[in-house]
Amino acid sequence: MAVKHTFKSYLIDEQYEAEQAMLKEFHEGNYTIENPLVKYNLYMINPLSAVVCFTTEEEVAVSVRVLGKKGPQGDMYHTFPKAKEHVLPIVGLYSNYENKVVLEEYRGKKNTITITTPDVFDGADPIISMHTTPEYLQDNVIMVSPAGEDLTVAYDYNGDARFHMTIPCVFDVKRAKNGNLLMGTNRILRLPYYMSGVYEISPVGKIYKEYRLPGGYHHDEFELPDGNLLVLTDDLQSDTVEDKLALVDRKTGKVLRTYDYRKILPEKECGRSGSWSDEDWFHNNACWYDPNTNSVTLSGRHIDAMINIDFDSGELNWIIGDPHGWPEDFVKKYFFTPVGTNFGWQYEQHACVITPNGDVMCFDNHHYGSKDPEKFLPAKDNYSRGVRYHINTKDMTIEQVWEYGKDRGAEFFSPYICNVEYYNEGHYLVHSGGIGYMPDNVTPCEGLPPAFRNQGGHLYATTVEIDNDVKQLELKVHGNFYRAEKLKLYSDGINLELGKGEELGEMGVTKEFDIEVPAEKTGEILPDKHEGEVIEEPDRFTFNATFEKGQMVQLLLCQGEEIHRYFISTTAMQLKAMCVATFMSPDARQTRTFVNKEGLKGTYDLRVIIDDKEYETGVQVTC
Amino acid sequence: MIKEVNTEEYKAEDMSGLVLVDFYSSTCGPCKMMAFVLRDVDQQLGDKVKILKVNFDENKELVAEKGVTGYPTLVLFKDGEEVKRLGGLQQKPVVIKMIEENL
Repeated sequence: MAVKHTFKSYLIDEQYEAEQAMLKEFHEGNYTIENPLVKYNLYMINPLSAVVCFTTEEEVAVSVRVLGKKGPQGDMYHTFPKAKEHVLPIVGLYSNYENKVVLEEYRGKKNTITITTPDVFDGADPIISMHTTPEYLQDNVIMVSPAGEDLTVAYDYNGDARFHMTIPCVFDVKRAKNGNLLMGTNRILRLPYYMSGVYEISPVGKIYKEYRLPGGYHHDEFELPDGNLLVLTDDLQSDTVEDKLALVDRKTGKVLRTYDYRKILPEKECGRSGSWSDEDWFHNNACWYDPNTNSVTLSGRHIDAMINIDFDSGELNWIIGDPHGWPEDFVKKYFFTPVGTNFGWQYEQHACVITPNGDVMCFDNHHYGSKDPEKFLPAKDNYSRGVRYHINTKDMTIEQVWEYGKDRGAEFFSPYICNVEYYNEGHYLVHSGGIGYMPDNVTPCEGLPPAFRNQGGHLYATTVEIDNDVKQLELKVHGNFYRAEKLKLYSDGINLELGKGEELGEMGVTKEFDIEVPAEKTGEILPDKHEGEVIEEPDRFTFNATFEKGQMVQLLLCQGEEIHRYFISTTAMQLKAMCVATFMSPDARQTRTFVNKEGLKGTYDLRVIIDDKEYETGVQVTC
Repeated sequence: MIKEVNTEEYKAEDMSGLVLVDFYSSTCGPCKMMAFVLRDVDQQLGDKVKILKVNFDENKELVAEKGVTGYPTLVLFKDGEEVKRLGGLQQKPVVIKMIEENL
């Protein structure tokens, strides 16, 4: 039997078709505020949303109010501009509930509709507890983004889920100035977590743009004052990862320029963190643009440092971190000297932030707690914290002016991921999203928690908001979550814009493994035991198959004499930085190989070499 | 030249010039592929480098002595001194570059 071959459209196209079908139904019917057209989960990825359509005789503003379960403190509401034709997003529905939604014309008619939702978590809502007040959180939600098997979810003041995505859009979530959300796509380019790019998406679930990058996306993006995007990316043809930054044109999706950290730092001579590796020597997990200095701050987990570069020239301005292990000339020129009492360097930090007065904040994971292997701290004796440093770039001094989390010790310790947010002076969010315990639920994991999940380990995420040293909120959930963001589901910007979304940019040419392996052409189809499957999309395809550990496997694309070779590893990846384990199979024998169509032209036969035998798949892919 | 050696033979080996040691396992797919990479490297560079293959599982003492923790691992020696180490499967141009930088 031939290998299974399925085609998959862009989600953007599927959403457009659904939207067009809804508009057709709307325009062919007579829908009023008393009898609106209601489309539950129209865009297919947020099952706590709907779209409501109706017309009014006059141009009138309409308010939407999703009623709170326990009274008006839980309401999600928004007033939409005057119109005769109303196509309104409904967000903030409760799971497994008969939601009451009030539609009200300005000084006019009012109607309450019911939207019934299923249990979108199948009985497995990850929340443990939410401690806050409705006065504090109001109609904001705390949105947490995936770092593992769990998906994006947002909780209100009562701990009720009011937003949930059914596709794994991993890494960062940020609100853009226009009200849309920016987040990683769900399309993986290369394991373990290099994604195709960044989605610009509405909370109702509509994807407006997919910004695709040749080196993909990981960890973070940042919207610049002119709307363009800074995106953390890779050069997937090189032998290192997570050491590139791309500037992306917001309208066209074109990469305007890239920054290569290997040209900024002495790659092999940097002071190394405990998780350092040849390939992932920098491990860039955050970027932040500061308009006051026209500079970009970049967090490098595997050098225990945050570096600041000039936006225009790309030249290095300064480095915040323990100088141990760095070349002397770098230490003299770029590093800060601590002043004041109660100072501590950050180790394997995440999520750098520049405050309005120029201070630098981050989530100090404090993983290993030293650059000296002999002084590495075990998890049980370690801690994580949010920290704020005041820096003086004239005399190159640094002072620690705030921290939160150290006193909590191991129960707030996350060896990876996490973030901090600055709201105002003294008002911060600290998200420790990567907490892990062994099966006894007492001993903290030594290593990254996802590695212990399938052994009965327990994963948690704790999000805290502090206002002038008073804890105003604490959210605890099961699972590890990459970041937390506080936001309103309805915004003052775009809430829903109709029309076709766009695929922008390009994903580049997939790296090949150009070594010819002698193999006997069997002429046979890949045996069923390998469970071969090809999923083809307009711009790439994925080959899924199962092999035995230790087998040498190569995927071939053949068109006459033209052969493209891609190596498939059957060995488990021992990674020291599994920031997002969402796409990793617990069984290393289950392989996934992603090939972009860019650089390929025509129709190719897919073949597979296993050790010394070559098999057909019966599948052709047209590029 | 590519030569398979055990611990004893390794210690008797002439380490003058450039010697690239491939610590491999017979149970590892990437190691099998690395063998083909080294075959091509050897064809291209000829006498510029000597390539030794050490079975990771059968030479634990040597593996520990050299601080090798996984496979495949390539360690490049120049006149007996380690000058470069690469972990994991490598593309041919990466291996060639590593050797040529140390010629």
